[in-house]
Amino acid sequence: MKRFFKTLKIIAIIIIAIIIFYILNKLLMPKYMTDLVEGSMISQYYREPKNHEVIFIGDCEVYANFSPMVLYEEKGITSYVRGSSQQLIWQSYYILKETLKYEIPKVVVFNVNSMRYSEPVSEAYNRLTIDKMKWSKEKYDIIKTSMLEEENMLSYIFPILRYHDRYDKLTKEDITYLFKEKDNTYQGFLINKNIKPVQSLPTKRPLANYQFEDIDYEYLQKILDLCKQNNIQLLLIKAPSVYPFWYDEYNEQIVEFAQKNNINFINFLDKVDEIGIDYTQDTYDGGLHLNLTGATKLTKYFSEYLKENYELTDYRNNSDVDKIYQEKLEMYHKDIM
Amino acid sequence: MELISGTIFAIMLITVILYYTLPKKAKPYVLLLISIVVYASFGKSSIFFIIFSTVTTYLAGILLEKTKYRKTILAITIIINTLILVILKNGLFVKDIIIPIGISYYTFQVISYIIDIYRKKYEPQKNIAKYFLYTMYFPYLFIGPINRYDKIQELLYKTDKKFNASKVFNGLIRMLWGIFKKLVIANKIQIIISVITQDTATYQGAYALFAMILYSIELYCDFSGGIDVVIGFSKILQINLLENFENPYKSQSIQEFWRRWHITLSSWFRDYVYIPLGGSRCGKLRTNINVIIVFVLSGLWHGTQYILWGLLHGIFLIIGKFIKTPYKILNTIITFLIVSILWSFFIWQDAGTACTMMLSVFTKFNYADLIQNILNFGLSIANYVVLIISVIAVIIYDYNKVKINNKIKNMRTETKLIILISAVFIILIFGTYGIGFEASEFIYNKF
Repeated sequence: MKRFFKTLKIIAIIIIAIIIFYILNKLLMPKYMTDLVEGSMISQYYREPKNHEVIFIGDCEVYANFSPMVLYEEKGITSYVRGSSQQLIWQSYYILKETLKYEIPKVVVFNVNSMRYSEPVSEAYNRLTIDKMKWSKEKYDIIKTSMLEEENMLSYIFPILRYHDRYDKLTKEDITYLFKEKDNTYQGFLINKNIKPVQSLPTKRPLANYQFEDIDYEYLQKILDLCKQNNIQLLLIKAPSVYPFWYDEYNEQIVEFAQKNNINFINFLDKVDEIGIDYTQDTYDGGLHLNLTGATKLTKYFSEYLKENYELTDYRNNSDVDKIYQEKLEMYHKDIM
Repeated sequence: MELISGTIFAIMLITVILYYTLPKKAKPYVLLLISIVVYASFGKSSIFFIIFSTVTTYLAGILLEKTKYRKTILAITIIINTLILVILKNGLFVKDIIIPIGISYYTFQVISYIIDIYRKKYEPQKNIAKYFLYTMYFPYLFIGPINRYDKIQELLYKTDKKFNASKVFNGLIRMLWGIFKKLVIANKIQIIISVITQDTATYQGAYALFAMILYSIELYCDFSGGIDVVIGFSKILQINLLENFENPYKSQSIQEFWRRWHITLSSWFRDYVYIPLGGSRCGKLRTNINVIIVFVLSGLWHGTQYILWGLLHGIFLIIGKFIKTPYKILNTIITFLIVSILWSFFIWQDAGTACTMMLSVFTKFNYADLIQNILNFGLSIANYVVLIISVIAVIIYDYNKVKINNKIKNMRTETKLIILISAVFIILIFGTYGIGFEASEFIYNKF
């Protein structure tokens, strides 16, 4: 009997230790709720009803520039932006793969800006995209393909190994959002109302090599294959920006890929005037990304294109869905005032 | 591969599992096999040198039993092995060669083995695999301690060991204590030291003294922490390695310091250099000369830039009795300050800068500046608090080691488990490691 109680005590201690360890990992990990909210965008998706006909994947050029609320308001299109900061192409692939476990959209919109990168850029960006992902095979793969030399898988599994030095930086936010999260975006769209007109631009420098790397093509093909397997139409886009980082040589390669695979590609850089973007008003960071007014103009334009070219449902006629969206729209309009 | 790394901990776990699950007779061979794997991972040169050292001393050991030319064989074996050590450590003749890991430790161990055989202290090992295990046992290749064949061979080769939870616990606690000293204390101090040493023009006087005192703590926690991991892990395998530290900063003289600091190196120099030179049996002058020779050699072993450091230690050891006061605490403080100031050679790495810094301690009294800038060395107030509490914990433990160890030994399993888990949590939270901190390597690895 004594032995039995001893074993029971040991088991209890181990269970308590595991719980404390779990809480410590949660506590020390940044919550991305008021600061660096980009880190919380990926996980907001899990809380949303999964009824989207359009899914956006890509870097900041999708979550800053396209508002699903406008898409719904204009054409009744249900959509979600699964973008994240500096989302690399293989990250977009795994995020799409993960999304398809929850729902099969009709159209996947991929912003091709990330074709410019063939290797992980920074640990901080990796963290913003990966930290809040739910554990799955896709999360494991995304970590494996994105890790920099100084990173290790264990620190993603146990965030305490990465964030332990936050013990003296903990704030009220870490307690408030220990087990819950708040929504920081509208279906993945991050509102930014600030205005910072274009003042100076980096000079366009010729590159030694404009050819996209094999790894980028490999994942672009994988994204296409994944869409084909699921009867999804892939739409490639290049979001507008006045920064001269998208070269004609890049564009030609995407055009060629799109033609070869019979998919659509829109380069919004050519349509800035048509859309009516005014870079003295419509950008929050001197022309790199659009602000709320810019994103609204762009999304309105895009909604026409989507409606014309794809068979998408107008959910405004579906009272169940419309009810949910009307509530969201009400909040959205309050927020953007 | 670092001693404190996921890879080595995984290897250690595999070792323990295999050690206690495979048939008894396989025990030494499991250790040898894993040691070979660890060694091979450091590259060809490491394997080549350890095989060379092991085979030459193994053959010499057997030959010493059978031949008339004992002195010649002993001399040749020592010269060859010492030459390799000197050449590799100082990068002579061969450039861009990676120094095989643990070269100092196995060279010292094979030399002590061969001299002891020559002195007929024990029989040579006839089983070459077992002898290889003596030279290659992987935990001590990282940071020591320097072992003696007669002290560890029995437990190293013993096969009838049963898994003992209490011994595993004691070993784990010792390992965690070492990791705590390294990650929570040494690595934090390393951040401050790296800032201070970057700007030798600004950071002089009080800053230099601050760095010296902190470095004393860092080096002790770094080096003894690594040794704790090695000894703790060996305890799990029921192999008792030699202790390397005995509360060194408690010493009341430099002589006592060297009986407490890096004990296995000091005793090696005593047994294989100082005593053969005549030790203290040939009059005062000769004794003092012998002391100086030993310390200069010890300095040289650390690197040519440390010769002056060795010499000064030798001088302070000789004049020790003249500067001793009747007050124990005062003697301890004086000894600690001498040792700390002399660590300058290790902090600033070149003798010239080290001397400038030592001199500045006595000429620049910028203590107000130091206090004003104390938060500009990369540590937050919280980190300083953790550091101070941790250092106090180490001091309390070092002064009450026996009492605390006995208390832990007699604790109930549940209490022991709670201690173990708490230690892991403390290290995980308050340790300085991971991205943004790269000094995970042990300072003493390179010697």
